[in-house]
Order: sequence, then C-alpha cells, then structure tokens
Amino acid sequence: MTASGDQLKAVQHWMQNALIAPASSDPAATEQLIQQPETGNAAQRLAIYQRSYYDRLLTCMREQFPALCHALGRDLFDDFTLDYLREKPPESYTLYDLGRRFADHLAASRPDRDAQDADKENWIDFMINLAQFERQIFVMFDAPGNEGKAFADYETPDDRLELQPCFAICAYGFPVARYYHDVKAETDPSFPPAESSQYALVRNNFITRTLAITEPQHRFLKLMQSGASAPDALVQSASDYALDLGTVQANWAGLKQSWLELGFFIEKRA
Amino acid sequence: MDQKVATHMLQSLPKPGLGLGLRNVHFDHILSTWPEVDWFEAISENFMDSGGRPRHVLDQVAERYPVALHGVSMSIGSTDPLNFNYLTKLKALADDTRAIWASDHLCWTGINGANSHDLLPLPLTEEALVHVIERVRIVQDHLERPLILENPSSYLTFKQSTLAEPEFFRHLGEETGCGFLLDVNNVFVSCFNAGESPAAYIEAFPCERVVQMHVAGHEDCGAHIIDTHDQPVRTEVWQLFQQAWTKTSGAATLLEWDGNIPDFAECHAELLKARGYMGDIPVDAARSVPQRSQAGSHSTPIDFLIPDAMDQTELVQP
Repeated sequence: MTASGDQLKAVQHWMQNALIAPASSDPAATEQLIQQPETGNAAQRLAIYQRSYYDRLLTCMREQFPALCHALGRDLFDDFTLDYLREKPPESYTLYDLGRRFADHLAASRPDRDAQDADKENWIDFMINLAQFERQIFVMFDAPGNEGKAFADYETPDDRLELQPCFAICAYGFPVARYYHDVKAETDPSFPPAESSQYALVRNNFITRTLAITEPQHRFLKLMQSGASAPDALVQSASDYALDLGTVQANWAGLKQSWLELGFFIEKRA
Repeated sequence: MDQKVATHMLQSLPKPGLGLGLRNVHFDHILSTWPEVDWFEAISENFMDSGGRPRHVLDQVAERYPVALHGVSMSIGSTDPLNFNYLTKLKALADDTRAIWASDHLCWTGINGANSHDLLPLPLTEEALVHVIERVRIVQDHLERPLILENPSSYLTFKQSTLAEPEFFRHLGEETGCGFLLDVNNVFVSCFNAGESPAAYIEAFPCERVVQMHVAGHEDCGAHIIDTHDQPVRTEVWQLFQQAWTKTSGAATLLEWDGNIPDFAECHAELLKARGYMGDIPVDAARSVPQRSQAGSHSTPIDFLIPDAMDQTELVQP
C-alpha cells in the first residue's frame, strides 16, 4: 500500500474507533479531520454516526431476542447488549449473524462465573438458556429446510428414516419454550422456576415448531442425528435409560406417527 | 473486465420502470395478489445465505418480475481486503435470480474485520479514487457484470477531500465502466448537510451512466437532515427527481421505505407519484410535510432487514 493508501486507512481506523468507543475519540482529531459545517460543529456531525451505530444494532438485537428483551426489561437488555457489542463488534456482512455469540458472551461475562454451581444466580442461567433458545429459533427461520421436497410417511421402513435438514434438539434447565411462546402470546409471563426441559425443533412449511420431549426421546433423536438408524437408536436409548425395550418399541408406532405429522423425517437416499 | 466491455454491457441494461423494495412485511401481500409493480429490488445480504422463506419468496418473485439486487456490505471503499466469499455468493444469487443488475454503495462499512452495518463516508481524494477504481475492476471481473454504485447519504465532509462527489463518480465510471444508482434523496440529504446545491450536484453528475434511481423520505432535524426512509418523499426531492429523470433519460426508479413501513398499497401509491414528475409539467401533487426530528432517529435504517422469526413459530401442545 502506498503512503497515500495509508492515509485512507488511518482515516478509517480513526472513524471506526470513534464509532465503537466514542468516549475515547479525541475532539482535536475530529476538528482536524472533519469540515466545520455551516450549522453546528464537526463533533455533532460525527455524533450522528456514533449515535446511530449502537442504536441500530440495539434495535436489531431486540428483534432477534424479543423474549429475552421482555425477560430482562428493555433497559437491562440494552445494557447487556451494549456490553456485548463493545466486546464483540459485528464481523459478518449479514445482520443475521449479529446475535450468534450473544449467549456465549452472557455466559462468559456473568458476574458469578467463578462461583460454585450451587452458588450461581439462578436467573442468569435462565437468561442464558433463553438466549440460546432464541438464537436457535432465529437460525432455523432461514436455514436450509425440506420445503418443496418429499417427507417420509408411515410406510417408510424405520431403518430408512432420517431427520430432515431443518431440525434441532436442545436441552435446558428452564422451560424456555413455554416462556418464549407466552411472550409471543403477550401474556406477560413471569420468571419460571428451574425445570429440566428438552425440546425438538422442526421447520415445516416455513413454520418452526417446538415440541417438548422426554429425556429418552432426546437421547433417541440425538443418536439419530449422529447417524444411528431408528431401530438402533430405540435399542440404545432404552438401554441408556433402563427402559423395557418391548414397551419402548410398542410405543414407537404412535410416536412415529405424530413425529411424521410434524415433519421430523425424510427417507434416506438409497 | 475492460472498461469498454463494462460500458457496453451497461448500455444494454433494461429500463424496467417503477419498482419497489422487496420487504418482509409485504411478502404475504405480494404472493397472494401479484401486484402490478414493474420490478422489485431485493437486499442482497438478506437472500444470499437464505434457505428459508425469504429465498423461497424471492425465487417466486423473480419468476414474475425483473429483480435487481442491492447490497449494503460490499464495502467497496474499505482498506480491508475484498471478501471473495461474499462476492461469490452475490454472483450466485444474481445468476439464480437473473438479476438485471447488482448494486451497492460508494462507502466503506468497516475495517480490521469489523462491520459497522453503516454506510460510512469516504474522503474524496485522488488516492481513495485509485483505491476504489482498483476494487471495482476486481469486483466486476468476479461478478462478470458491471457494478452499479450508489451515492450515499453523508452527514460530514472530510477536510482532506479534493474532489466533489459527482466528479469522483465521473472518474470512477470513465476508468472502470461501472454504472451508477443515483439516490435523489441522498443527493438532497448530503447537499443540505454540506451546504451545497442539490440541483448543481445532479447537473454535474455523470447521468449517462445512471441505470437506476432511488427516492425516499427523510427527516429534517433543523441543522441537518437524516436519511431515515420512514416517511413519504418530500416535494423538494420529487422536484429533484424530475430534473434527474430528464438527465438520465428515464432511468429505472425505485421507492425505498424502510422504517414504519406502511402497507403495500400505500408504498405503491407513493411510488406512483413519480409519474407526475416524469413529464415536462409536474402533477400538482399534495405537498409532503416531513416529520420533525424525533429523539433517537438514526441514519441508515437496517432493522427492517431483521425478519420477525417469532411470528413464524408454534409451540406444539403435547
């Protein structure tokens, strides 16, 4: 790069720092670089960009995490989000990536992170779980799916079943899905008590559905995600939870039917 | 891509008429009514990675209407290296949708790997011009089509700038063969903020390379104007559009409405006001009264890019 190219780089470096860390921007540098406008001053013009930078990213984060915003209240949500954006400025060309690291950031920056698990603040765990769930929902909104293609049906042999591409399973220490949908229904839910919660999420016809599942069902689906066939996953999950295999296999028919209706499965290619 | 080849390709681009920005909130209306709109403009970044409903909708729209792609993250003026992964995805999207062109902004969005998601101003210097020329050539080679660049809204002017913006664009076009998207509202906003004449800007702009225009609403904050895209187009901007319409020999025109987006019919009605300014004598359109500044308004609205994922969810009752 030429010396003049370095000048352009220096201006961009200065302006980006002025956006991300406005408190540290040097008023003298602003006056030196920006033309005095007819009305107002150079710092006020720079401030339009500075104010807009965080405002627009905060707005986008509130839209990506509406339930967490409800849970924390807007002021506290904004505080956590500003901390996140300062720590991890956006890197991607797409705003869809904006919240990707948010749950991890909340976990890494929790004030009681060095405490024993038993001494950790319960509500922080809930917020982290909720952030993880909302991120999963947001990702599934636009992930590759199976719309327009064939699904498996009841005649598909069990060993030919495969989970469809827009499918996820997750486990939390709180009933975050119920909370999320209560927020959606505008019922102003209160902070829920801890409760081990497993979910399957599946998108069909561009609607992402969340289904509460049991721990053995979570294990079964996890095994299928790892490549196990449905019959093998049934045997393994029954064994892992010391369940009677005959009973599990007898119940499988009804479960398969309901999961087929939700679009869990496609047929494996030959 | 050779400058002459790009210029030749530019001259063969269509003039599709009056178009609207394709927005999430209008998807259902468009799919159910297939409205009589000449063409649509899609935000590139919203669709290049989409495997969900946005891309499904765009594919259907592209079957029935001409579609142009409009990007906000190419960062053509950044001193960071160009993102070839991004460019490859953009080319694939343009090919798949048979886009009539792909545009972005004369700006930079970040350096050192960051993306501000704002359209930040460049110092208009000889060295910035050389830098952008080199990058436009690379992009055009990669996309195998001329790049269309838009004049951004600016709230400040760098002291080191030595070129007027229309002059910068003229040199850029002559050196690369690229085309331009003349945002008439941005001309009004930037010129007001810089204390310059928007009519003189249009007069000096290389309009022979303009393939598309934007019109939009803005917010008057008294000492400055912010490009908010959240209200009807001001009469002063329509009058500027009339001047630009003649100078560009009728370039494709598109209404941007990105904040407080009204229903499709209202957006379309606002777009069709353009017809009143395409002849020699303007229609006596109702004078648009802009809203005064509200605390918290910000430039370059982007929250319309975030889909309402919650709306597309259900909790299955056991």
